[in-house]
Amino acid sequence: MTKRYPVLHVENLTMHYLTRKGEVKAVENVSFSLDKGEALGLVGESGCGKTSVALTLLRLLPENARFLGGHVYFFRDSTDEAHARRAVGKPVKILLDGQEHQGRLLEATRSHLVLDASANGRREQLRLNRQDVARLGVDLTALSDEEMRPIRWKGISMIFQAAMNSLNPVYKVGDQIIEALQTHLPISVPEARERVAELFQLVGLDRQLMDRYPHEYSGGMKQRAVIAMALACEPDMIIADEPTTALDVIVQDKILREMRQIQKKLNMSMIYISHDIAVIAEVADKVGVMYGGGLVEFGPSDAIFKNPIHPYTKALMSAFPSIKGEKVKLAALPGEPPDLIKPPSGCRFHPRCPFATEICEREVPEFREHKPSQYAACWNPLSKGDR
Amino acid sequence: MSIRIWHALTSGMGKFIIVRVFQIILVLYLYMTLVFIILEAQPGDITDIYTANPKITPEAKEAIVKQLGLDKPIHERYLNYLRNFVTGHLGCSFKWGNIRDVPDPVCREQRPTWDLIKERLPRTIVLFLTYTIVSFYIGFFLGKLIAWRRGAVIEYLSTVVGVVLFTIFTPWFALLLVWLFAVNAGVVPIGGFINPDSWTNVRQIGTTDCSIGISCSNIVFTHLLMWLGGLSLFWGIVYLWSRHFPYAWQKHAARWGAVAFGLILAGLFFGGGWLGEVDRVTLARDTRFQFFVWYFEFPAGTIPLFPLALDFVQHLALPILTLTLISFAGTMLLMRNTMLETMREDYVMAAKAKGLPDHIVRDKHAARNALLPVVTSLIFAIAFSVDGGVFTETIFSWPGMGQLLLLSALEQDYPVAIGSLVFTGIFALIAHLIADILYAFLDPRIRYD
Ligand SMILES: Nc1ncnc2c1ncn2[C@@H]1O[C@H](COP(=O)(O)OP(=O)(O)O)[C@@H](O)[C@H]1O
Ligand code: SF4
Ligand SMILES: [Mg+2]
Repeated sequence: MTKRYPVLHVENLTMHYLTRKGEVKAVENVSFSLDKGEALGLVGESGCGKTSVALTLLRLLPENARFLGGHVYFFRDSTDEAHARRAVGKPVKILLDGQEHQGRLLEATRSHLVLDASANGRREQLRLNRQDVARLGVDLTALSDEEMRPIRWKGISMIFQAAMNSLNPVYKVGDQIIEALQTHLPISVPEARERVAELFQLVGLDRQLMDRYPHEYSGGMKQRAVIAMALACEPDMIIADEPTTALDVIVQDKILREMRQIQKKLNMSMIYISHDIAVIAEVADKVGVMYGGGLVEFGPSDAIFKNPIHPYTKALMSAFPSIKGEKVKLAALPGEPPDLIKPPSGCRFHPRCPFATEICEREVPEFREHKPSQYAACWNPLSKGDR
Repeated sequence: MSIRIWHALTSGMGKFIIVRVFQIILVLYLYMTLVFIILEAQPGDITDIYTANPKITPEAKEAIVKQLGLDKPIHERYLNYLRNFVTGHLGCSFKWGNIRDVPDPVCREQRPTWDLIKERLPRTIVLFLTYTIVSFYIGFFLGKLIAWRRGAVIEYLSTVVGVVLFTIFTPWFALLLVWLFAVNAGVVPIGGFINPDSWTNVRQIGTTDCSIGISCSNIVFTHLLMWLGGLSLFWGIVYLWSRHFPYAWQKHAARWGAVAFGLILAGLFFGGGWLGEVDRVTLARDTRFQFFVWYFEFPAGTIPLFPLALDFVQHLALPILTLTLISFAGTMLLMRNTMLETMREDYVMAAKAKGLPDHIVRDKHAARNALLPVVTSLIFAIAFSVDGGVFTETIFSWPGMGQLLLLSALEQDYPVAIGSLVFTGIFALIAHLIADILYAFLDPRIRYD
């Protein structure tokens, strides 16, 4: 088994929105993990909670959102002093060679990490040699806003769904990137401008454009600028939320490919969000399929594309021709996405599922490993014969 | 080089400013022509409007007709009329008498209209500018805070106060404040421009003799105005210049340095021994001057300008307070609403995602964009602020353009009424132009259309 190098462990993430009509159960028990250099594709029909997952990770939720539980462990090398200091007193996951410890970090000295790993009423204090520790993951949900700030953009950056609108119209594009750089790195304006020029070159923009305002950019140029901005601080991970949907197919395809190249070259992790499974197939190493606020299938992309376990994944794949851009109605899938205020009982997919049985209506299927590292939440997992 | 200048003038900001200036000049021209037509349409001879008053001596009448060119045919009269506003030949007041020790060459025992306007326009500018800036800033600042801290006590409190102030009957409110602060508490004068008692012994400012003719208060007031304008300009330039300094600390150093430098310079000027030939003993009876007369060792017979300048500040306090209270609420409520809107914008979310400190997300991103519609509303409000000026200056007996306009109209002092009407218009239009240009600086999208 190759050495694992995790960046993100998400466990049982749950978040609802309070609205006048009721509680929108937008994220329900979502768990997944991501390693360094991997690209995870998060796919699902629009309105199934993909953006909400991303915003919950970064703790950028609107006022009416209620975070209801779960953990988001964000890993860095244990040599990162600031990261270790931030983790003191917080729930952490510590990864030694092949071994994983979980608990609350009591102390972080130069030589040791002291962990309170009490579980099931058993008190246990672990004293771990700092050199043995490969990765230290801190639970982002336990951080204060001020502690969260350095993680944003330096640790995890994001390309927003409305990327076009995420540039402030009153500032020059270059200055908006410089602002991010100067917030996280001790860097002077001339140095920062040099860095912006490099980034512009990387995403295929003329360096002259950094002194222009967003309204002087075309859609594709804005898109590239936003990508450059997300790359600015060389984050461990980028979340790209439907970054190309507003563009025409040709530009979309081109940018997609370039992003994939950059991500591989810089060995960054990435969560790539799209409603289009064809796009995901093109960029992702791992795939997470979301339906009605929950993750219904998660695993390596080749395995999932070859042998999907969940009927919804299969339905999505049958609409594959949309790779050419036209919106194809999910042919194998009549009906509407669920209302997240009053979601269907049991498996949320059961009203539309051709394989639904009586239990599906009654009980929520457990999200578990059906094949090695391929997880799904389904009572009647598909086997090869069903395809 | 000349190509670069040409390019700067014909693109972006340069082009915008030039176009706006030409537009304003055109509007001004139309406005003045309209006034001319109204004047000429009056029954009777045009000379009557300028001279039909017993106080205008036959000698003066002849001089006025000649100076203004009233005896010429109408097309020449029109050109003269336009030219006279540039040269300041606006006839003579019927009401106000000459204040110099020699008769005026044209108006004889009456006061030239231009003289009155020249004296009063700065006073109005100071009042108008100060309250506009103060009330705008307070409205902007509070609106920003209450939007950002939604649901806090401060939001309900300021919204209620804001709505009350916004809807209150203004003259009543102004009188209430006069009663409260001037009559009851006595902390500020009831009205007026200066306290004459403080000035009776002042005969010379610096080397200028102002015992007869030029009033000493006007000289000190001009100093005050120059310093206000000069310092604002200086600070503005330093602010813009320091914007692109490589490090934040350099920026702060330059800006705070400029503030300190300006204040020290002003302190030296107003604190220095500039007031000549004063009778120290009589002056010392004035409680406000005592401190400076007794504790400062200045060359014989001089005291600092500061207490005299303070006289204006005291008289300005109440009108500015009133005007600010009346007008900040509108800005605040508007700012709150636009801020709530921009706070939902994607670029504000993106700014937060960038890990910027909370106050930078609020000020640099949300508030900076919310400011734009608020400034637009200010630009429109300026055009309508003339009546507000007339009313305030009347209530607080502030001898500015608004009061002049009202008094001359009431007393049928036609030359002054015409002059002040046109200059009030010019003033409002220029204020509009400045606000417009300011807006273009704030919103890059406007510069390129
Ligand atoms: N601020 C909000 N308030 C209330 N409901 C919201 C809010 N944002 C999103 N939702 C709802 O949450 C659900 C998930 O939305 P979203 O995460 O944007 O889905 P996706 O990104 O997959 O299209 C949708 O039903 C949407 O209507
Ligand atoms: S649990 Fe039942 S309803 Fe849900 S996907 Fe599986 S088979 Fe379909
Ligand atoms: Mg979305």
